[in-house]
Amino acid sequence: MRKNSVKQFMTKKRIALYILTFLLIISSFWFVNHNHEFYERSIAEIVEVETVQSEEVTDPHGNEDQLVTQRLEGVIQNGEDQGAVIQLDNEYAASQAYDHEYSVGHELFVSVDSTNESEQLTGSILDVKRDHYTLMIAWVFIIILLLVGQRQGFYSVVSLAINAVIIAFALDFYIQTANISLLIISGVSIVLFTVISLLLVNGNNEKTYAAIAATLLGTLFLFAVTSFVMWGTAGEGLRYEEMQFVTRAPEMVFMAGVLIGALGAIMDVAITMSSSLFNLYEKNSNISNKALRKSGMDIGKDIMGTMTNILFFVYISGSIPMIILYLKNSAALGFTLNMNLTLELARALAGGIGIVVTIPIGVYLTIFFINRKRARV
Amino acid sequence: MSVLVWFAIILFILMVVIGGQKGARSFIALFFNFVILIISILFMADPNIDPIIVTLIATTILSCVNLFYINEINIKTKTAFISTMATIIALLLFIIFMTESAMIQGFSEEQIEEIKGFSVYLGVDFVKIAASVIIMSTIGAITDVAISISSPMREIYRHNPDLSRRSLYQSGVSIGKDILGTSTNTLFFAFFGGYMALLIWFMDLNYSFGEIVNSKIFSAEMVTILAAGIGVALVIPITSWVTAYVLIKSGVKEEVEE
Repeated sequence: MRKNSVKQFMTKKRIALYILTFLLIISSFWFVNHNHEFYERSIAEIVEVETVQSEEVTDPHGNEDQLVTQRLEGVIQNGEDQGAVIQLDNEYAASQAYDHEYSVGHELFVSVDSTNESEQLTGSILDVKRDHYTLMIAWVFIIILLLVGQRQGFYSVVSLAINAVIIAFALDFYIQTANISLLIISGVSIVLFTVISLLLVNGNNEKTYAAIAATLLGTLFLFAVTSFVMWGTAGEGLRYEEMQFVTRAPEMVFMAGVLIGALGAIMDVAITMSSSLFNLYEKNSNISNKALRKSGMDIGKDIMGTMTNILFFVYISGSIPMIILYLKNSAALGFTLNMNLTLELARALAGGIGIVVTIPIGVYLTIFFINRKRARV
Repeated sequence: MSVLVWFAIILFILMVVIGGQKGARSFIALFFNFVILIISILFMADPNIDPIIVTLIATTILSCVNLFYINEINIKTKTAFISTMATIIALLLFIIFMTESAMIQGFSEEQIEEIKGFSVYLGVDFVKIAASVIIMSTIGAITDVAISISSPMREIYRHNPDLSRRSLYQSGVSIGKDILGTSTNTLFFAFFGGYMALLIWFMDLNYSFGEIVNSKIFSAEMVTILAAGIGVALVIPITSWVTAYVLIKSGVKEEVEE
């Protein structure tokens, strides 16, 4: 009887959750489709597209492309000129490396030329309104995580959201207070990320404590190795001048990026080590330290390759468009790779060092925690 | 010696000391991955070849290296391979749709300083390149999750050969649920480590929230992170299903062989 009512309560709660999620989805989509008033820049929705001209072009390197000129007509969605029709010109190449082909229904940020008042408005295109696409993929992500992971999926989404908020606050703090080093802020954030994510994903227990300790030690070791190498070589061979979007000291930004970039993978290794060793201990509480150490190292061997690969592909793939741009502009392959990949490769290799070193650290720390538990029992 | 050489030597020594022969193989696999990636970029730069086809072939070879070379060819790695490819194909369709509609391909106006002096009329389809980039950046994580599910499922089946396909599938999904959180976390931080400079740049240049959210580069990075997360989640039921199916089908035969 009682079990039944608990079950009923669970399903009711579940249905309420489904309805809540559904309402959130609908209202957020309604919002991004009606948020034009919140933007200062004018937004035009394209209602008519006419291709004016299309010609073959060949650049100095022999690359052939199609250059197309479009005349667009859009209706302004916000501000003083709301409802007015605006005429825009757009030129794009078929390869669309830097420009875009627009079609009816696209919403664009535009600047309005305030010249001829009686005639039709003219203006130029600033950017594309992309917020609803970001929202859409975010919802697809959340829904798939909830469907596949259910409770754990929900916790993963929550922990990602909390981490994103911590990042935003930490960076904001960094920008506001120019005197504090980015490394100190990163250090504090790393402790917060580690404690919060591991507690949320894994619960408040000894397994988690062992993993937290291993993560922090592993990251510290990575920091020591990276700074030692950078100091010893004076950063030789790293092309900081090719680092994108730099407004601050590039060494600091690079170093903080290495540590935070590897943090997720280090946490993953640490939690894998501690939960599998605790699992073995719970199944057989008389298991010897030596057996635990051997199993731990075996598991570590299995995961080190794939974990390093994750970082490798994440970092290197992002450079593909830039490498293609260099190559198609007749740059030599060696020069291209040297200009575009040194920082990414350094990040990936350093991250790998952090991952591999966390394996023994995780094994020994977990055995230490298990022995503490043994002494208490 | 340069920073890169030092890092590579330290990583190699650590991998061999801690991982032995398998560690050495993992390091060599990293090198293979690099070479394969560069070769596929060379093919992508050819306007007569579809970048999506290049990506599919490259991901096939890459997951072969990462599954069959680091581990061995056996039923675990075979099912992990099939599941990885199935996930990538499903994800690819969705990603092509997203890159086309959100117009996140190529270079953004924030990069104009860097591409100044380069011709951008290259005849290469940058929309497809953008989709390839997203797939390539998730391949490591997808194979990782696939092998982390198929390998313990094989152990479970060996200890309980009477399990039905359904309960085998469910044990796979429940393993997957446990690693979902850490895998999405790994990806999240990995991407964030790369994007940190960009976020500081946005803040230093006083971009408004609306400008950040709609900018090409930020949208592209959000789509990449989230698509990677979707891939990692999708591969869980796919691997569980494929592994359960293959194990039950071939179960009897293999018992005899052993």
